[in-house]
Amino acid sequence: MSRQSLAAVLARHRTKPPNILQALLEIQGALGAVSVRAVPEIAKALDVTEADVAGVLSYYPELRPAQPGRHLIRVCLGESCMANHGAKVLARVRAHLKIEVGETTRDGRFTLAPIYCVGNCAVGPSLMVDGDVIGRVNPDQVPALLDSYT
Amino acid sequence: MTRLYLSNDTSARAAGAERLAQAWAHAPGVELVRTSSRGAFFLEPLVERDGPDGRPDSRIVWPNVKAEDLPNILAGIGGTPIGRIAFLAEQQRVTFANFGITGPLSLDDYRAHGGWQGLERARSLSPEAVIDELKTSKLRGRGGAAFPVWTKWQVAKDAAADQKYVVANADEGDAGTYCDRMIMEGEPFRLIEGMLICAKAIGATRGFIYCRQEYPAAARTLREAIAAAEQAGWLTHERERFHLEVFVGAGSYVCGEETALLESLEGRRGVVRAKPPYPALSGLYGKPTIVSNVLTFATVPSILARGGRWHASLGTEGSRGTMALQVGGRVKQPGLVEIPFGATLAEVIERFGGGMASGARFKAVQVGGPLGSLFPASRLDIPICYDAFSQAGAILGHGGIVVYDDETDMVELARHFMAFTADESCGKCTPCRIGSVRSREILEQLQSGHSRPGDLDLLADLSETMKAASLCALGQRAPYPVLTAIEHFGSEFRK
Repeated sequence: MSRQSLAAVLARHRTKPPNILQALLEIQGALGAVSVRAVPEIAKALDVTEADVAGVLSYYPELRPAQPGRHLIRVCLGESCMANHGAKVLARVRAHLKIEVGETTRDGRFTLAPIYCVGNCAVGPSLMVDGDVIGRVNPDQVPALLDSYT
Repeated sequence: MTRLYLSNDTSARAAGAERLAQAWAHAPGVELVRTSSRGAFFLEPLVERDGPDGRPDSRIVWPNVKAEDLPNILAGIGGTPIGRIAFLAEQQRVTFANFGITGPLSLDDYRAHGGWQGLERARSLSPEAVIDELKTSKLRGRGGAAFPVWTKWQVAKDAAADQKYVVANADEGDAGTYCDRMIMEGEPFRLIEGMLICAKAIGATRGFIYCRQEYPAAARTLREAIAAAEQAGWLTHERERFHLEVFVGAGSYVCGEETALLESLEGRRGVVRAKPPYPALSGLYGKPTIVSNVLTFATVPSILARGGRWHASLGTEGSRGTMALQVGGRVKQPGLVEIPFGATLAEVIERFGGGMASGARFKAVQVGGPLGSLFPASRLDIPICYDAFSQAGAILGHGGIVVYDDETDMVELARHFMAFTADESCGKCTPCRIGSVRSREILEQLQSGHSRPGDLDLLADLSETMKAASLCALGQRAPYPVLTAIEHFGSEFRK
């Protein structure tokens, strides 16, 4: 983790009272993850306890303690996607990448995560790759779709 | 130059609108205008052309378009007048009246289609008169709790405080729902207008829109809309600046509960607060705060512009106005349906949903997101309104309607719901924190064939404790989809 950019983000968060979640989201935006090792420095800069920071960091699914792969594949597990048999999409993604939910491929290309609804229910089943929503995913298209990301 | 209209909504893009926009970016003779979406998502990507008189309701449309269809569209071959799309023609659109017609970030379009009229009327009235209009309208919150909107506004208005807040709950976490996303991406000024009317009524100078991180396009559009509205001079309150900000969450479902949302907005763990005090008295940073769902705020401008009496004339006795239903799952025509309260579930699924998707057979429908009850085919005569649902022990929630086909494994579905609650429980109260994990375990045992006698009784017992003793709707409602699955599809649980 680049210390300089961590310090730069923290410098913008010396407000009273500090907003821990916003600070952590910004750190993650700048550095890709919020390392648990950075907790003491963050706590000191925000003038809160380390427990306050660690508590927020561990609470939110979208705050990540480690860098994800180059592409974050999120398979929608919302009801509408489940009704449209999105479980088959998830199974194909797992089989093709040979990883389980929460894991990263060995080449660092993909991290697989679940997501509970991307609001694309009428055009499901859905995948979210990085920031893009892909709709009407047919399980058979999954290998070609994933292979298009380098 | 032929002007073609194409939606820029996330679902339209996911269905292929973005591919069309890229393919046609340099097509000669084409002027591409990006709009909000009609919400007829089964037709997306949908391309529209001006009709003979140039009016939005006479447009000619081409559904499920591919890039190579462009010559036909330009030659006018094969299009359908928008008025003949029954899915749209049979709706009674109020809040979504401009969807598919206007440019999301065009202040001119918004103005030309009735925008800001509600705010202008509100600003000509006293705060008390604005609240009276809401009282006459009988508007109830559209986020799920269905609380009368005016009573919250009255409490916040009457509270003496140096700072008050207006907070839009844009943490649309109920799977199967997306009408808030459509509003934020498609007509963000309508949400802003509703929030400004609330600010006027209660005397607030600060507002936040708490948007879930799963909606990056919505957050982006909102920020641009706020900047545009600010520049045009709309973001004021009694000659003071009204500060409005977008705050993006971090993937926690329970942050859609208003007190957890406020904790999160203050930067802490999104843990539920015990009520009372209610946020209208003691909310963000302990100050009077109105937290309402995006759809609720977006409903307010029409009420001020057309009058509370007009709003109260729509719908049923206890549920006035229109409801944005999001019909999905295994139906033929998934999409957004705005109609007055009162139609039956069967009518909505058949008339708008178009029945089951090709080859699929109906098994059950869930209304109200992951905490909503399941209905079998024999119970579809229930009218869509708050009272009927509450009498049936069900919820309308945020208007999500998800239809499951007969390939659905009910035990797996029940386990899926309980695993979701166990994942998302904030951990503050024991019934939800422990009850959801134990319930999930019982369902897993059942699935693996290792259940013990009395397990279903234990599950029922746990469910009663969760319903009665949990702090918020997550724990109180989580047992319902599981219990209704057992009630209607019991044989699958007793194998």
